[in-house]
Amino acid sequence: MNSLGDFVIVSAMLFGIGVYGLVTKRNALRLLFAVELMINAANLNFVAFGQYLPFEGGAQTAAPNALGQTFVLFSIALAAAEAAVILAIVVVAYRLHKDVDVSELKSMEG
Amino acid sequence: MIDYLTLTVVMIGATALLLPLLQVIKGRSENLPGYVLAVVLAASMVLLGLFTLNPSSVSWAGSLLIPDQLGGIFALVTVGVTLAVTVASFDFEKSTSNPVYYSLLAFTALGMVLLAYSEDLLMLFVAWELMSLPTYVLAGFDKKLRSNEASVKYAIIGAMSSAVILYAISLAYGLTGSTQISVVAMRFAALLSTSSQSTALASVSILLFVAGFGFKMSIVPFHMWIPDAYEGAPTTISTILAAATKKAGFIAAIRVLLAITTFYALTHSPLFTLANVFAVLAVLTMTVGNISALTQKSMTRLLAYSSIAQAGYMLIGFVAFSNAPGSAAASLGLTGTVFHVLNHAVMKGVAFLAAALVLLQLRRADLGAYDGLGKRMPITAFTLAVAFLGLAGVPPLSGFWSKLLLVLSVAYGPYGWVALVAILNSAFSLGYYAWIIKRMYIDEGESPEKVKEPIWFVVVFAVMVGLIIGIGLFPQQVINFVSGAVNSFAG
Repeated sequence: MNSLGDFVIVSAMLFGIGVYGLVTKRNALRLLFAVELMINAANLNFVAFGQYLPFEGGAQTAAPNALGQTFVLFSIALAAAEAAVILAIVVVAYRLHKDVDVSELKSMEG
Repeated sequence: MIDYLTLTVVMIGATALLLPLLQVIKGRSENLPGYVLAVVLAASMVLLGLFTLNPSSVSWAGSLLIPDQLGGIFALVTVGVTLAVTVASFDFEKSTSNPVYYSLLAFTALGMVLLAYSEDLLMLFVAWELMSLPTYVLAGFDKKLRSNEASVKYAIIGAMSSAVILYAISLAYGLTGSTQISVVAMRFAALLSTSSQSTALASVSILLFVAGFGFKMSIVPFHMWIPDAYEGAPTTISTILAAATKKAGFIAAIRVLLAITTFYALTHSPLFTLANVFAVLAVLTMTVGNISALTQKSMTRLLAYSSIAQAGYMLIGFVAFSNAPGSAAASLGLTGTVFHVLNHAVMKGVAFLAAALVLLQLRRADLGAYDGLGKRMPITAFTLAVAFLGLAGVPPLSGFWSKLLLVLSVAYGPYGWVALVAILNSAFSLGYYAWIIKRMYIDEGESPEKVKEPIWFVVVFAVMVGLIIGIGLFPQQVINFVSGAVNSFAG
């Protein structure tokens, strides 16, 4: 496991598992897991590209491209904020329904 | 000398952070946080207006922000809608008058201002999240069954769209080694002439961008959350979703996708081009939106589907632009898109606020509540009628001119069929708009008694109806300004 291609393939698989989870699961918490998988697939991409693609401004440089690592720090922080907000909303849903199954949420149709 | 954009950002940001503290100092005083936010947003609009007329560079931002007039128009529109919603909330949220509500509104406004000026994918993503996260909470602010349901659906779909955008950015970064949009676009163009493997990955990245932005822009087939979220959320928040955050989705798409189009066709095959993708999405969005709107029984749901249909019209400009970047038709199309975004924000915003007032006073959202509304709430009914005629594109209201520009931009090219579908859809949509107007003015309501119309709502209605009619009567100045902004962006 030490070439860029391996990392990209693992990341694509993670993304695919996330999409699969979003499509098939009906539990709000599982949907949140699936979204987190998709976000972390992107994070893996950023780290791998930052390590393996050392060019900045078009010219090859010796040091890894720091932009990818920077982006990952931002995206992890934002993913944490997003998870906090969604969990809070799901807690309210649990209080109202005593369940977190999203297929139960159909008071509005049309 | 500090520039006006920095001042605006600091002002809105500080208000957002300090508003909840106000409750600690002053106790729970009715509407005070709302008044503070309204003053701050009005001042921000003045500053942004000055900044848009005379853009200067923002020293601290480096290459993160691009202070152009196009961003200025979108920042003004989104802050303007937030201001209208804040003023309407004086009455709508009076029972709770929770300062956190206004604080979250301020955070959303801040996110939208930053997004409008973003020139780097990192800045764009952070601003996107800053705009989205508060709206998830606001959509569920009532903590009642429907409001919570709206917010669960909206939050999960919204998080998914951010994840998709993030993945698209990661691919773009991997292929180009940069997150600056202009650099990404230039290197994507260079890729096209080299290996086919990278070209395929670049196409995946672009399509993921289309999907990710499409969720916010309410493009079919990414629209399924829209009706539920708009109907369940507090109606003032639906106004923000339909008239502000959706427009922010459009500026993000213009900045990223249209910058890439300038250099890039998806593949070498003539069939699978970005222009064709946009054309198919535009036609689908218009048609599905209008047909679904026809059968709705609730006002907010009808407005939600009509908002989807309008997103289809706005996409026509994207078709014209990506078909022949740099041509006169491209510039006309993008001008039409930006102009329609501006008009639609005013028209849809005021229509949603009128629906909010009816819900507040009559406690009903179904269309039956609108029978005989012309006698019961004359100002609200007149406002709705003007907004609906504008949305349908009846001259001489503002919506007519922007639709005209959009249709003209594609009428004389290979995408003439898109123009035809748009005209047919426009005529078709008059069916449900006129039907509501008929119910308000001709049908008899269940009780003829007058209903009070609060002064703040009337002020908002007057300003926005004035804008719809004013821009409709004197469109030339606005079109000139918008096309100047578009030309400096595209040229």
